Amino acid sequence: MNAHWSGFSYIVTNLARFIRPDEVTFSGVNSTAPMLACLLAKRAYPFDFTYLNVAGGVQPSPSSVPISSSDPVLAEGSAAIFSNEDFYDLCTRGGMDLCFLGAAQVDGRGQTNVSVIGNWHNPKIRLPGGGGGAVMLPTARRAVTWRTEHSKRTLVDTLDFVTASGGLHGVVTPFAVFVKRDDRLALQSWHPETSLDEVRERTGFEFDATGAAPTPPPQTDEVAALRALDPDGQFEQDATRLIR
Amino acid sequence: MPSSDSKVLTLAEMGALVPDGASLALGGSFLHRGPFAFVRELIRQRKTNLEVIKPSPGYDIDVLCRAGSLSRARAGIVAMEGNFGLAPWYRRAVEEKQIVLEEHACMTLTAGLRAAAFGIPFQPVGGVHGSDLPVINNWASVTDPYGSGKDVWVIPAIQPDIAVIHVNEASENGDARVYGTSHWDRIMSRAAKQVFVVAESLEPVASFQARPELTLVPSFMVHALAVVPRGAWPGSCWPLYDVDYPAVERYMASDGSLDQHLASAPDNREPGQ
Repeated sequence: MNAHWSGFSYIVTNLARFIRPDEVTFSGVNSTAPMLACLLAKRAYPFDFTYLNVAGGVQPSPSSVPISSSDPVLAEGSAAIFSNEDFYDLCTRGGMDLCFLGAAQVDGRGQTNVSVIGNWHNPKIRLPGGGGGAVMLPTARRAVTWRTEHSKRTLVDTLDFVTASGGLHGVVTPFAVFVKRDDRLALQSWHPETSLDEVRERTGFEFDATGAAPTPPPQTDEVAALRALDPDGQFEQDATRLIR
Repeated sequence: MPSSDSKVLTLAEMGALVPDGASLALGGSFLHRGPFAFVRELIRQRKTNLEVIKPSPGYDIDVLCRAGSLSRARAGIVAMEGNFGLAPWYRRAVEEKQIVLEEHACMTLTAGLRAAAFGIPFQPVGGVHGSDLPVINNWASVTDPYGSGKDVWVIPAIQPDIAVIHVNEASENGDARVYGTSHWDRIMSRAAKQVFVVAESLEPVASFQARPELTLVPSFMVHALAVVPRGAWPGSCWPLYDVDYPAVERYMASDGSLDQHLASAPDNREPGQ
């Protein structure tokens, strides 16, 4: 398949590829890409997993795909409401296998900043703040984040503020997929339309690229699932404004 | 049959019960089932020096910042969400130091609320290890007194003056129920000194007696009740209505004014005003 693979599709598809059979997997607020990844995996992959989301959904079958990743429609078809305290407590006691968490900055150890650009007490940019990360990143079995911008200001050597520590398992950008190896983020693969050199050029932290290769292109089932979830290209259009 | 137990007030009467300087736990999450008509009423009544306590505020904290009603916030993650990104007036208020922020993770804020709900001075919380949040907040950790050797962060109690939740249905006595997720409303209602309920509709007490397990907050805990259909606008109230995205866009538009926004709200046309 030689068709152009958009940054949006690259992020959603590669987030979905972190999902494993029979595991408990969670998507949260402000998390359009992971929401789509979970819904994509449900459609495209030949295995089951327990999908929980911040709207209280447990294995939901939403009748539409909402703009807001915390929309109550994400609990449609759910046989239970698993509310906020429930899924956090599940995570801290070790029952969350895969958790998708947002980040503004990520460092080479997989720590995240979602709090502030500049000094916390004298911010240049006040970011959304703590959210799930500080509690979920150190306690989930695996935590994965995504960035629509892959640059030296998002993938940094030193965070402006450590909102959450504990080490991400994976990071997906429009250009590359990183996976934790020996407590550092290592390059797993790069977008087939870019190169290892460009990924290095764009990344603010040092990383091991041993064994890295171009990312396997999207499979027919993945392409079909994402098209079904975003038939009018609205999510693609919203995301394209942010991808760089 | 109105009874002496009725707690039904107008929205204006409920707003008048809030003193300047009050700390308010606001129910819902981002654009979903927040007590937004109540928040607009506070702005109409020109309240000042308020505090918002909420793990995931968005429109509510932003419009209060825009009106200059807020001086403090304890919050986890703040954003308009949907596809709207950061909350612009909140962001400006923090950057220009118009409000004092105590930044939490959603679950550390909940731990503080749990401490208040449990009647104890602090509450352990899972995770947080390695985060800078304890440094800026002067949080302490304790070593397991039972000998596991594990360290646990402990969060001081957070007791809001008033928890305000927007619900689907209430009885005139104040029994309240919601459909879909309760977000953080339950722990807020147990932690706060008082509970205010804003309901989409009144239902007979008998309907609550028939299904008591659906009641999120029992009437004896509720101090005031107002009935405001579409009161979570421009957010959603499942399953009654979805987010009014065009209205949020107009709210965010640089050429819009707060007065126009307030005037366009359904609660601006409440009978008797």
